[in-house]
Amino acid sequence: MKKKKGLYKVPVYLYMLVLAVCALLPFYMMIVMGTHYSEDLYTGVKLTFGKYFKENFQTVMRQDFPLYYWNSIVVAVCHVTGALIVSTLTGYAFAKFEFKGKKVLFAVIIATLAIPEQLGLIGYVLEMRWLGLNNTLFPMIVFGMASAFGVFWMRQYIESSVPDEIIESGRVDGCKEFGIFFRLILPIIRPALITLFLLFFLWSWNNYMMPLVMISKEELYTIPLSIAKISSEYRTDYAARILALSMGTIPILILFAFGSKHLIRGLVAGSVKG
Amino acid sequence: MIAPYFILYIAFGLFPVLFSLGISFTSWDGIGNAAFVGLENYKRVFVQDEFFYKSLWNTAILLGISAPIQIILGLLTAVFLKDFFRRMKNGLQLINFLPYITTPVAIGIIFQLMFDWKSGVVNAVLELLHMDSVYWLGNAWASRAVVIIMIVWKNYGYMMIMFLSGLAAIPDELYEAAKIDGAKWWSRFTRITIPMLRPIFVFVIITSVINGFKLFDEPQLLFSSASQPIGGPDRAVMTVVMRYYESAFRSFEFGYGSALAYCLFMVIAAITLLLFCGIRGRKEK
Repeated sequence: MKKKKGLYKVPVYLYMLVLAVCALLPFYMMIVMGTHYSEDLYTGVKLTFGKYFKENFQTVMRQDFPLYYWNSIVVAVCHVTGALIVSTLTGYAFAKFEFKGKKVLFAVIIATLAIPEQLGLIGYVLEMRWLGLNNTLFPMIVFGMASAFGVFWMRQYIESSVPDEIIESGRVDGCKEFGIFFRLILPIIRPALITLFLLFFLWSWNNYMMPLVMISKEELYTIPLSIAKISSEYRTDYAARILALSMGTIPILILFAFGSKHLIRGLVAGSVKG
Repeated sequence: MIAPYFILYIAFGLFPVLFSLGISFTSWDGIGNAAFVGLENYKRVFVQDEFFYKSLWNTAILLGISAPIQIILGLLTAVFLKDFFRRMKNGLQLINFLPYITTPVAIGIIFQLMFDWKSGVVNAVLELLHMDSVYWLGNAWASRAVVIIMIVWKNYGYMMIMFLSGLAAIPDELYEAAKIDGAKWWSRFTRITIPMLRPIFVFVIITSVINGFKLFDEPQLLFSSASQPIGGPDRAVMTVVMRYYESAFRSFEFGYGSALAYCLFMVIAAITLLLFCGIRGRKEK
Protein backbone atom coordinates (compact mmCIF):
# COMPACT_ATOMS: atom_id res chain seq x y z
CA MET A 1 0.00 0.00 0.00
CA LYS A 2 2.68 2.44 1.03
CA LYS A 3 4.83 1.59 -1.98
CA LYS A 4 1.96 2.19 -4.34
CA LYS A 5 1.28 5.56 -2.79
CA GLY A 6 4.89 6.62 -3.32
CA LEU A 7 4.94 5.49 -6.93
CA TYR A 8 2.05 7.56 -8.09
CA LYS A 9 3.71 10.62 -6.67
CA VAL A 10 6.62 10.30 -9.09
CA PRO A 11 4.95 12.01 -12.07
CA VAL A 12 3.86 14.81 -9.78
CA TYR A 13 7.41 15.41 -8.56
CA LEU A 14 8.70 15.21 -12.11
CA TYR A 15 6.12 17.73 -13.27
CA MET A 16 7.09 20.11 -10.49
CA LEU A 17 10.79 19.72 -11.23
CA VAL A 18 10.42 20.35 -14.96
CA LEU A 19 8.21 23.34 -14.33
CA ALA A 20 10.59 24.81 -11.77
CA VAL A 21 13.48 24.42 -14.21
CA CYS A 22 11.45 26.09 -16.96
CA ALA A 23 10.52 28.91 -14.62
CA LEU A 24 14.06 29.48 -13.45
CA LEU A 25 16.06 28.87 -16.64
CA PRO A 26 15.35 32.20 -18.36
CA PHE A 27 16.03 33.91 -15.05
CA TYR A 28 19.34 32.15 -14.68
CA MET A 29 20.22 32.90 -18.29
CA MET A 30 19.52 36.55 -17.66
CA ILE A 31 21.95 36.71 -14.75
CA VAL A 32 24.59 34.71 -16.60
CA MET A 33 24.34 36.60 -19.87
CA GLY A 34 24.88 39.88 -18.09
CA THR A 35 28.40 38.80 -17.20
CA HIS A 36 29.62 38.07 -20.72
CA TYR A 37 31.12 40.10 -23.50
CA SER A 38 28.23 41.19 -25.71
CA GLU A 39 29.46 39.71 -28.98
CA ASP A 40 30.15 36.38 -27.29
CA LEU A 41 26.43 35.97 -26.63
CA TYR A 42 25.96 35.12 -30.28
CA THR A 43 28.75 32.60 -30.54
CA GLY A 44 27.23 29.87 -28.44
CA VAL A 45 25.16 28.99 -25.41
CA LYS A 46 26.41 30.50 -22.18
CA LEU A 47 25.56 28.58 -19.06
CA THR A 48 28.38 29.69 -16.80
CA PHE A 49 29.37 33.10 -15.55
CA GLY A 50 31.65 35.20 -17.72
CA LYS A 51 34.31 37.71 -16.81
CA TYR A 52 32.81 40.87 -18.18
CA PHE A 53 30.61 41.79 -15.25
CA LYS A 54 32.74 44.79 -14.31
CA GLU A 55 32.91 46.21 -17.84
CA ASN A 56 29.20 45.73 -18.38
CA PHE A 57 28.46 47.31 -15.05
CA GLN A 58 30.54 50.33 -16.00
CA THR A 59 28.75 50.60 -19.34
CA VAL A 60 25.41 50.55 -17.57
CA MET A 61 26.51 53.17 -15.05
CA ARG A 62 27.81 55.48 -17.77
CA GLN A 63 24.31 55.69 -19.22
CA ASP A 64 22.65 57.56 -16.37
CA PHE A 65 21.14 54.30 -15.27
CA PRO A 66 20.97 55.43 -11.62
CA LEU A 67 18.77 58.31 -12.78
CA TYR A 68 16.37 55.97 -14.60
CA TYR A 69 16.34 53.77 -11.54
CA TRP A 70 15.43 56.76 -9.43
CA ASN A 71 12.65 57.75 -11.86
CA SER A 72 11.19 54.26 -11.67
CA ILE A 73 11.30 54.38 -7.88
CA VAL A 74 9.65 57.82 -7.71
CA VAL A 75 6.88 56.76 -10.07
CA ALA A 76 6.25 53.45 -8.34
CA VAL A 77 6.29 54.83 -4.80
CA CYS A 78 4.04 57.82 -5.54
CA HIS A 79 1.66 55.76 -7.65
CA VAL A 80 1.38 52.97 -5.10
CA THR A 81 0.89 55.35 -2.17
CA GLY A 82 -1.88 57.21 -3.97
CA ALA A 83 -3.55 54.10 -5.31
CA LEU A 84 -3.50 52.42 -1.89
CA ILE A 85 -5.05 55.42 -0.13
CA VAL A 86 -7.76 55.83 -2.75
CA SER A 87 -8.57 52.10 -2.93
CA THR A 88 -8.70 51.67 0.82
CA LEU A 89 -10.88 54.70 1.49
CA THR A 90 -13.27 53.87 -1.31
CA GLY A 91 -13.36 50.17 -0.50
CA TYR A 92 -14.04 50.97 3.17
CA ALA A 93 -16.87 53.30 2.23
CA PHE A 94 -18.51 50.72 0.00
CA ALA A 95 -18.08 47.96 2.55
CA LYS A 96 -19.23 49.65 5.75
CA PHE A 97 -21.26 52.77 5.00
CA GLU A 98 -24.70 53.36 3.60
CA PHE A 99 -25.19 56.19 1.16
CA LYS A 100 -27.36 57.16 -1.75
CA GLY A 101 -26.67 55.37 -5.02
CA LYS A 102 -24.19 53.00 -3.42
CA LYS A 103 -25.21 49.98 -5.47
CA VAL A 104 -25.24 51.84 -8.76
CA LEU A 105 -21.87 53.47 -8.14
CA PHE A 106 -20.29 50.16 -7.25
CA ALA A 107 -21.72 48.54 -10.37
CA VAL A 108 -20.24 51.39 -12.40
CA ILE A 109 -16.83 50.78 -10.88
CA ILE A 110 -17.02 47.08 -11.66
CA ALA A 111 -18.10 47.80 -15.23
CA THR A 112 -15.00 49.93 -15.77
CA LEU A 113 -12.89 46.83 -15.10
CA ALA A 114 -13.71 45.65 -18.60
CA ILE A 115 -12.36 48.80 -20.27
CA PRO A 116 -8.87 48.25 -21.61
CA GLU A 117 -6.48 50.99 -20.50
CA GLN A 118 -5.43 51.54 -24.11
CA LEU A 119 -8.88 52.84 -24.94
CA GLY A 120 -8.28 56.29 -23.53
CA LEU A 121 -4.56 56.41 -24.17
CA ILE A 122 -4.66 58.90 -27.05
CA GLY A 123 -7.01 61.17 -25.14
CA TYR A 124 -4.79 60.88 -22.08
CA VAL A 125 -1.65 61.82 -24.00
CA LEU A 126 -3.37 64.90 -25.45
CA GLU A 127 -4.89 65.84 -22.10
CA MET A 128 -1.45 65.74 -20.50
CA ARG A 129 -0.01 67.79 -23.34
CA TRP A 130 -2.61 70.51 -22.79
CA LEU A 131 -2.00 70.53 -19.08
CA GLY A 132 1.70 70.88 -19.84
CA LEU A 133 2.37 67.69 -17.91
CA ASN A 134 3.73 65.57 -20.70
CA ASN A 135 7.42 65.06 -20.14
CA THR A 136 6.98 64.98 -16.41
CA LEU A 137 6.59 61.89 -14.27
CA PHE A 138 3.07 62.94 -13.29
CA PRO A 139 1.13 61.10 -16.04
CA MET A 140 2.68 57.78 -15.08
CA ILE A 141 2.07 58.35 -11.38
CA VAL A 142 -1.58 59.26 -11.68
CA PHE A 143 -2.61 56.83 -14.43
CA GLY A 144 -4.63 54.02 -12.92
CA MET A 145 -4.51 55.54 -9.44
CA ALA A 146 -8.28 55.26 -9.31
CA SER A 147 -8.07 51.51 -9.63
CA ALA A 148 -11.34 49.62 -9.97
CA PHE A 149 -9.49 46.44 -9.13
CA GLY A 150 -8.15 48.00 -5.93
CA VAL A 151 -11.57 49.19 -4.79
CA PHE A 152 -13.20 45.87 -5.57
CA TRP A 153 -10.45 44.06 -3.71
CA MET A 154 -10.56 46.26 -0.63
CA ARG A 155 -14.33 46.12 -0.41
CA GLN A 156 -14.30 42.32 -0.53
CA TYR A 157 -11.61 42.12 2.07
CA ILE A 158 -13.06 44.67 4.49
CA GLU A 159 -16.54 43.26 4.19
CA SER A 160 -15.41 39.73 5.00
CA SER A 161 -12.80 40.42 7.66
CA VAL A 162 -13.82 43.54 9.57
CA PRO A 163 -16.79 42.90 11.88
CA ASP A 164 -19.27 45.76 12.31
CA GLU A 165 -18.95 45.40 16.10
CA ILE A 166 -15.40 46.70 16.03
CA ILE A 167 -16.47 49.90 14.33
CA GLU A 168 -19.43 50.23 16.69
CA SER A 169 -17.33 49.73 19.79
CA GLY A 170 -14.89 52.31 18.47
CA ARG A 171 -17.71 54.81 18.14
CA VAL A 172 -19.06 54.01 21.60
CA ASP A 173 -15.61 54.61 23.06
CA GLY A 174 -15.69 58.07 21.51
CA CYS A 175 -13.21 57.43 18.76
CA LYS A 176 -13.46 59.83 15.81
CA GLU A 177 -14.09 58.30 12.38
CA PHE A 178 -10.48 58.91 11.36
CA GLY A 179 -9.27 57.34 14.56
CA ILE A 180 -11.42 54.29 13.89
CA PHE A 181 -10.00 54.01 10.41
CA PHE A 182 -6.37 54.34 11.40
CA ARG A 183 -6.36 52.52 14.72
CA LEU A 184 -8.94 49.80 14.19
CA ILE A 185 -9.39 49.15 10.50
CA LEU A 186 -5.86 49.51 9.15
CA PRO A 187 -4.27 46.90 11.45
CA ILE A 188 -6.93 44.35 10.49
CA ILE A 189 -6.58 44.82 6.77
CA ARG A 190 -2.79 44.75 6.74
CA PRO A 191 -2.59 41.56 4.64
CA ALA A 192 -4.80 43.11 1.98
CA LEU A 193 -2.70 46.26 2.01
CA ILE A 194 0.48 44.26 1.51
CA THR A 195 -1.10 42.29 -1.34
CA LEU A 196 -2.28 45.41 -3.12
CA PHE A 197 1.01 47.17 -2.46
CA LEU A 198 2.94 44.35 -4.14
CA LEU A 199 0.65 44.15 -7.16
CA PHE A 200 0.47 47.93 -7.71
CA PHE A 201 4.23 48.22 -7.33
CA LEU A 202 4.82 45.40 -9.79
CA TRP A 203 2.47 46.81 -12.42
CA SER A 204 3.90 50.28 -12.11
CA TRP A 205 7.52 49.13 -12.13
CA ASN A 206 7.08 46.97 -15.24
CA ASN A 207 4.83 49.34 -17.16
CA TYR A 208 6.19 49.72 -20.64
CA MET A 209 3.51 51.23 -22.84
CA MET A 210 2.63 54.33 -20.81
CA PRO A 211 6.18 55.75 -20.61
CA LEU A 212 6.75 54.64 -24.19
CA VAL A 213 4.04 56.93 -25.53
CA MET A 214 4.34 59.65 -22.89
CA ILE A 215 8.01 60.35 -22.39
CA SER A 216 10.39 61.73 -24.96
CA LYS A 217 12.93 63.38 -22.66
CA GLU A 218 15.73 61.02 -21.81
CA GLU A 219 16.19 62.27 -18.27
CA LEU A 220 12.66 61.09 -17.47
CA TYR A 221 13.07 57.54 -18.76
CA THR A 222 12.07 54.70 -16.48
CA ILE A 223 13.95 51.41 -16.44
CA PRO A 224 11.88 49.56 -19.10
CA LEU A 225 12.39 52.45 -21.53
CA SER A 226 16.04 52.99 -20.81
CA ILE A 227 17.09 49.44 -21.67
CA ALA A 228 16.87 49.96 -25.43
CA LYS A 229 19.17 52.95 -25.08
CA ILE A 230 22.04 51.26 -23.33
CA SER A 231 24.97 50.85 -25.65
CA SER A 232 28.71 51.21 -25.64
CA GLU A 233 30.42 53.50 -28.08
CA TYR A 234 29.65 52.49 -31.65
CA ARG A 235 27.71 49.34 -30.82
CA THR A 236 24.60 48.05 -29.08
CA ASP A 237 25.68 46.23 -26.00
CA TYR A 238 23.28 43.39 -25.30
CA ALA A 239 25.21 42.05 -22.35
CA ALA A 240 25.09 45.43 -20.64
CA ARG A 241 21.36 45.69 -21.34
CA ILE A 242 20.78 42.32 -19.80
CA LEU A 243 22.83 43.26 -16.77
CA ALA A 244 20.70 46.40 -16.44
CA LEU A 245 17.59 44.22 -16.61
CA SER A 246 18.88 41.98 -13.86
CA MET A 247 19.52 45.08 -11.78
CA GLY A 248 16.05 46.35 -12.57
CA THR A 249 14.51 43.08 -11.41
CA ILE A 250 16.26 43.04 -8.05
CA PRO A 251 13.92 45.41 -6.14
CA ILE A 252 10.84 43.48 -7.27
CA LEU A 253 12.52 40.22 -6.40
CA ILE A 254 13.34 41.39 -2.87
CA LEU A 255 9.83 42.74 -2.34
CA PHE A 256 8.23 39.49 -3.44
CA ALA A 257 10.67 37.26 -1.60
CA PHE A 258 9.58 38.94 1.63
CA GLY A 259 6.01 39.50 0.62
CA SER A 260 4.97 36.37 -1.25
CA LYS A 261 3.66 34.71 1.91
CA HIS A 262 1.48 37.75 2.61
CA LEU A 263 0.51 38.02 -1.04
CA ILE A 264 -1.00 34.55 -1.03
CA ARG A 265 -2.58 35.01 2.39
CA GLY A 266 -4.08 38.33 1.32
CA LEU A 267 -5.38 36.86 -1.92
CA VAL A 268 -6.85 33.89 -0.11
CA ALA A 269 -8.65 36.00 2.45
CA GLY A 270 -10.10 38.40 -0.08
CA SER A 271 -10.55 35.75 -2.70
CA VAL A 272 -13.07 36.23 -5.42
CA LYS A 273 -16.14 34.63 -4.01
CA GLY A 274 -18.78 35.83 -6.40
CA MET B 1 -14.60 59.29 1.26
CA ILE B 2 -15.34 58.08 -2.21
CA ALA B 3 -14.81 61.52 -3.70
CA PRO B 4 -11.06 61.13 -4.39
CA TYR B 5 -11.71 58.01 -6.39
CA PHE B 6 -14.38 59.51 -8.56
CA ILE B 7 -12.53 62.79 -9.05
CA LEU B 8 -9.39 60.93 -10.12
CA TYR B 9 -11.37 58.57 -12.28
CA ILE B 10 -13.35 61.26 -14.06
CA ALA B 11 -10.30 63.46 -14.64
CA PHE B 12 -7.80 60.84 -15.72
CA GLY B 13 -9.89 57.84 -16.67
CA LEU B 14 -13.27 58.79 -18.01
CA PHE B 15 -12.30 62.05 -19.67
CA PRO B 16 -9.55 60.52 -21.86
CA VAL B 17 -11.86 57.68 -22.83
CA LEU B 18 -14.65 60.01 -23.94
CA PHE B 19 -12.17 62.38 -25.54
CA SER B 20 -10.75 59.47 -27.55
CA LEU B 21 -14.27 58.61 -28.65
CA GLY B 22 -14.61 62.14 -29.96
CA ILE B 23 -11.25 61.96 -31.70
CA SER B 24 -12.23 58.71 -33.36
CA PHE B 25 -14.72 60.65 -35.52
CA THR B 26 -12.01 62.99 -36.77
CA SER B 27 -8.91 62.94 -38.84
CA TRP B 28 -6.23 64.43 -36.63
CA ASP B 29 -2.55 64.25 -35.93
CA GLY B 30 -2.95 65.91 -32.54
CA ILE B 31 -1.26 69.17 -33.54
CA GLY B 32 -3.11 70.83 -36.43
CA ASN B 33 -6.84 71.22 -36.76
CA ALA B 34 -9.09 68.25 -36.35
CA ALA B 35 -11.37 67.57 -39.31
CA PHE B 36 -14.67 65.85 -38.59
CA VAL B 37 -15.01 62.79 -40.79
CA GLY B 38 -17.97 61.00 -39.21
CA LEU B 39 -17.73 57.24 -39.33
CA GLU B 40 -14.99 57.29 -41.97
CA ASN B 41 -12.38 55.87 -39.57
CA TYR B 42 -14.61 52.99 -38.54
CA LYS B 43 -15.35 52.23 -42.14
CA ARG B 44 -11.64 52.13 -42.80
CA VAL B 45 -11.09 49.72 -39.90
CA PHE B 46 -13.75 47.30 -41.01
CA VAL B 47 -13.61 47.62 -44.77
CA GLN B 48 -10.16 48.72 -45.88
CA ASP B 49 -7.66 47.82 -43.23
CA GLU B 50 -6.58 44.26 -43.89
CA PHE B 51 -4.13 44.59 -41.02
CA PHE B 52 -7.00 44.97 -38.57
CA TYR B 53 -8.43 41.57 -39.42
CA LYS B 54 -5.00 40.07 -39.58
CA SER B 55 -4.07 41.44 -36.16
CA LEU B 56 -7.41 40.34 -34.73
CA TRP B 57 -6.84 36.86 -36.10
CA ASN B 58 -3.28 36.78 -34.73
CA THR B 59 -4.46 37.91 -31.32
CA ALA B 60 -7.21 35.30 -31.34
CA ILE B 61 -4.74 32.53 -32.20
CA LEU B 62 -2.24 33.59 -29.54
CA LEU B 63 -4.99 33.94 -26.96
CA GLY B 64 -6.85 30.79 -27.96
CA ILE B 65 -3.78 28.61 -27.58
CA SER B 66 -2.06 30.24 -24.64
CA ALA B 67 -5.06 30.78 -22.35
CA PRO B 68 -6.09 27.11 -21.96
CA ILE B 69 -2.48 26.03 -21.46
CA GLN B 70 -1.76 28.61 -18.80
CA ILE B 71 -5.01 27.90 -16.99
CA ILE B 72 -4.37 24.15 -16.93
CA LEU B 73 -0.75 24.57 -15.84
CA GLY B 74 -1.83 27.02 -13.14
CA LEU B 75 -4.55 24.70 -11.88
CA LEU B 76 -2.34 21.60 -11.82
CA THR B 77 0.48 23.44 -10.10
CA ALA B 78 -1.85 24.84 -7.47
CA VAL B 79 -3.49 21.49 -6.78
CA PHE B 80 -0.17 19.64 -6.63
CA LEU B 81 1.28 22.28 -4.33
CA LYS B 82 -1.62 21.95 -1.99
CA ASP B 83 -1.77 18.16 -1.97
CA PHE B 84 1.83 17.06 -2.23
CA PHE B 85 4.21 19.83 -1.30
CA ARG B 86 3.02 21.17 2.02
CA ARG B 87 6.53 21.61 3.34
CA MET B 88 8.12 23.31 0.33
CA LYS B 89 5.02 25.25 -0.58
CA ASN B 90 6.29 28.77 -0.01
CA GLY B 91 9.52 28.29 -1.94
CA LEU B 92 7.82 26.61 -4.87
CA GLN B 93 5.14 29.27 -4.95
CA LEU B 94 7.78 31.95 -5.29
CA ILE B 95 9.67 30.04 -8.01
CA ASN B 96 6.54 29.56 -10.09
CA PHE B 97 5.53 33.16 -9.53
CA LEU B 98 8.93 34.58 -10.57
CA PRO B 99 8.11 34.73 -14.29
CA TYR B 100 5.09 36.91 -13.58
CA ILE B 101 7.13 39.55 -11.80
CA THR B 102 9.84 39.79 -14.44
CA THR B 103 9.80 42.93 -16.59
CA PRO B 104 8.36 42.24 -20.05
CA VAL B 105 11.37 44.04 -21.49
CA ALA B 106 13.61 41.43 -19.91
CA ILE B 107 11.40 38.60 -21.12
CA GLY B 108 11.59 39.98 -24.66
CA ILE B 109 15.36 40.20 -24.78
CA ILE B 110 16.01 36.93 -22.96
CA PHE B 111 13.64 34.98 -25.19
CA GLN B 112 15.16 36.60 -28.26
CA LEU B 113 18.53 35.23 -27.23
CA MET B 114 17.25 31.87 -26.03
CA PHE B 115 15.44 31.26 -29.29
CA ASP B 116 18.26 32.62 -31.40
CA TRP B 117 18.81 30.51 -34.48
CA LYS B 118 22.50 29.87 -34.01
CA SER B 119 23.43 30.55 -30.43
CA GLY B 120 20.15 30.04 -28.57
CA VAL B 121 19.82 27.50 -25.81
CA VAL B 122 16.61 26.06 -27.25
CA ASN B 123 18.19 24.97 -30.51
CA ALA B 124 21.18 23.64 -28.59
CA VAL B 125 18.83 21.39 -26.63
CA LEU B 126 17.10 20.28 -29.84
CA GLU B 127 20.48 19.39 -31.29
CA LEU B 128 21.32 17.36 -28.22
CA LEU B 129 18.12 15.41 -28.85
CA HIS B 130 19.17 14.94 -32.49
CA MET B 131 16.37 17.08 -33.82
CA ASP B 132 16.56 19.76 -36.47
CA SER B 133 17.10 23.25 -35.20
CA VAL B 134 14.30 25.67 -35.93
CA TYR B 135 14.61 29.19 -37.29
CA TRP B 136 12.30 30.35 -34.51
CA LEU B 137 12.13 34.06 -35.14
CA GLY B 138 12.18 33.87 -38.92
CA ASN B 139 9.11 31.81 -39.51
CA ALA B 140 5.50 32.81 -38.96
CA TRP B 141 4.20 29.85 -36.96
CA ALA B 142 7.45 29.31 -35.08
CA SER B 143 7.44 32.91 -33.91
CA ARG B 144 3.83 32.54 -32.84
CA ALA B 145 4.91 29.51 -30.86
CA VAL B 146 7.63 31.57 -29.18
CA VAL B 147 5.15 34.28 -28.23
CA ILE B 148 2.76 31.66 -26.86
CA ILE B 149 5.55 30.14 -24.79
CA MET B 150 6.42 33.61 -23.49
CA ILE B 151 2.85 34.35 -22.45
CA VAL B 152 2.29 30.98 -20.85
CA TRP B 153 5.63 31.17 -19.07
CA LYS B 154 4.79 34.58 -17.72
CA ASN B 155 1.19 33.97 -16.69
CA TYR B 156 0.81 30.44 -15.33
CA GLY B 157 2.22 31.55 -11.98
CA TYR B 158 -0.49 34.18 -11.66
CA MET B 159 -3.11 31.57 -12.50
CA MET B 160 -1.56 29.32 -9.87
CA ILE B 161 -1.96 32.02 -7.23
CA MET B 162 -5.59 32.58 -8.20
CA PHE B 163 -6.32 28.85 -7.96
CA LEU B 164 -4.45 28.57 -4.67
CA SER B 165 -6.64 31.28 -3.23
CA GLY B 166 -9.70 29.40 -4.46
CA LEU B 167 -8.47 26.09 -3.09
CA ALA B 168 -7.97 27.60 0.34
CA ALA B 169 -11.64 28.47 0.43
CA ILE B 170 -12.74 24.85 -0.02
CA PRO B 171 -13.53 23.35 3.40
CA ASP B 172 -11.26 20.44 4.36
CA GLU B 173 -14.25 18.48 5.63
CA LEU B 174 -15.35 17.80 2.07
CA TYR B 175 -12.08 16.05 1.32
CA GLU B 176 -12.11 14.20 4.63
CA ALA B 177 -15.61 12.91 3.95
CA ALA B 178 -14.64 11.85 0.45
CA LYS B 179 -11.59 10.03 1.74
CA ILE B 180 -13.71 8.16 4.25
CA ASP B 181 -16.04 7.18 1.43
CA GLY B 182 -12.99 5.79 -0.37
CA ALA B 183 -12.68 8.34 -3.15
CA LYS B 184 -9.33 8.29 -4.95
CA TRP B 185 -7.27 11.40 -5.57
CA TRP B 186 -8.49 11.72 -9.15
CA SER B 187 -12.17 11.53 -8.31
CA ARG B 188 -11.70 13.95 -5.43
CA PHE B 189 -10.06 16.26 -7.97
CA THR B 190 -12.84 16.00 -10.54
CA ARG B 191 -15.80 15.77 -8.17
CA ILE B 192 -14.83 18.25 -5.47
CA THR B 193 -11.99 20.48 -6.54
CA ILE B 194 -13.16 21.42 -10.02
CA PRO B 195 -16.80 22.13 -9.19
CA MET B 196 -15.82 24.07 -6.07
CA LEU B 197 -13.39 26.20 -8.06
CA ARG B 198 -16.13 27.32 -10.40
CA PRO B 199 -16.08 31.02 -9.43
CA ILE B 200 -12.31 31.11 -9.85
CA PHE B 201 -12.64 29.53 -13.29
CA VAL B 202 -15.11 32.20 -14.32
CA PHE B 203 -12.82 34.92 -13.05
CA VAL B 204 -9.68 33.44 -14.59
CA ILE B 205 -11.22 32.74 -18.00
CA ILE B 206 -12.72 36.20 -18.32
CA THR B 207 -9.57 38.00 -17.18
CA SER B 208 -7.39 35.95 -19.52
CA VAL B 209 -9.62 36.80 -22.45
CA ILE B 210 -9.63 40.51 -21.60
CA ASN B 211 -5.88 40.57 -20.97
CA GLY B 212 -5.21 38.40 -24.00
CA PHE B 213 -6.79 40.92 -26.32
CA LYS B 214 -4.65 43.65 -24.79
CA LEU B 215 -1.46 41.75 -25.66
CA PHE B 216 1.30 44.14 -26.63
CA ASP B 217 4.52 44.01 -24.58
CA GLU B 218 5.71 40.50 -25.32
CA PRO B 219 5.36 40.29 -29.11
CA GLN B 220 6.44 43.91 -29.50
CA LEU B 221 9.59 43.36 -27.46
CA LEU B 222 10.43 39.99 -28.95
CA PHE B 223 10.97 41.70 -32.28
CA SER B 224 12.35 44.91 -30.89
CA SER B 225 15.80 45.01 -32.46
CA ALA B 226 16.17 47.15 -35.51
CA SER B 227 16.94 44.32 -37.87
CA GLN B 228 13.60 42.64 -37.29
CA PRO B 229 10.32 43.38 -39.03
CA ILE B 230 7.45 44.94 -37.05
CA GLY B 231 5.17 42.21 -35.82
CA GLY B 232 7.59 39.45 -36.73
CA PRO B 233 7.93 37.55 -39.98
CA ASP B 234 4.90 38.09 -42.20
CA ARG B 235 3.44 40.14 -39.30
CA ALA B 236 2.43 36.86 -37.76
CA VAL B 237 2.48 38.11 -34.18
CA MET B 238 1.19 41.60 -34.78
CA THR B 239 -1.63 42.03 -32.26
CA VAL B 240 -4.44 44.56 -32.37
CA VAL B 241 -2.78 46.75 -29.77
CA MET B 242 0.46 46.68 -31.77
CA ARG B 243 -1.45 47.82 -34.83
CA TYR B 244 -3.02 50.52 -32.67
CA TYR B 245 0.35 51.64 -31.36
CA GLU B 246 1.72 51.77 -34.88
CA SER B 247 -1.07 53.94 -36.29
CA ALA B 248 -1.48 56.19 -33.27
CA PHE B 249 2.06 56.72 -32.05
CA ARG B 250 4.23 55.99 -35.07
CA SER B 251 2.12 57.45 -37.90
CA PHE B 252 0.34 59.89 -35.54
CA GLU B 253 -3.09 59.12 -36.96
CA PHE B 254 -4.86 59.86 -33.69
CA GLY B 255 -8.33 59.68 -35.19
CA TYR B 256 -7.77 56.34 -36.82
CA GLY B 257 -5.95 54.98 -33.78
CA SER B 258 -8.85 55.89 -31.51
CA ALA B 259 -11.28 54.18 -33.85
CA LEU B 260 -9.10 51.06 -33.74
CA ALA B 261 -9.10 51.15 -29.95
CA TYR B 262 -12.89 51.42 -29.88
CA CYS B 263 -13.24 48.53 -32.30
CA LEU B 264 -11.02 46.43 -30.07
CA PHE B 265 -13.09 47.44 -27.08
CA MET B 266 -16.28 46.39 -28.87
CA VAL B 267 -14.76 43.01 -29.65
CA ILE B 268 -13.68 42.52 -26.03
CA ALA B 269 -17.07 43.63 -24.72
CA ALA B 270 -18.93 41.32 -27.10
CA ILE B 271 -16.84 38.30 -26.21
CA THR B 272 -17.01 39.00 -22.48
CA LEU B 273 -20.77 39.30 -22.73
CA LEU B 274 -21.03 36.04 -24.67
CA LEU B 275 -18.88 34.31 -22.06
CA PHE B 276 -21.04 35.66 -19.25
CA CYS B 277 -24.23 34.53 -20.94
CA GLY B 278 -22.71 31.13 -21.70
CA ILE B 279 -21.69 30.66 -18.10
CA ARG B 280 -25.02 31.83 -16.73
CA GLY B 281 -26.92 29.63 -19.19
CA ARG B 282 -25.03 26.61 -17.98
CA LYS B 283 -25.64 27.47 -14.38
CA GLU B 284 -29.39 27.46 -14.92
CA LYS B 285 -29.30 24.00 -16.43
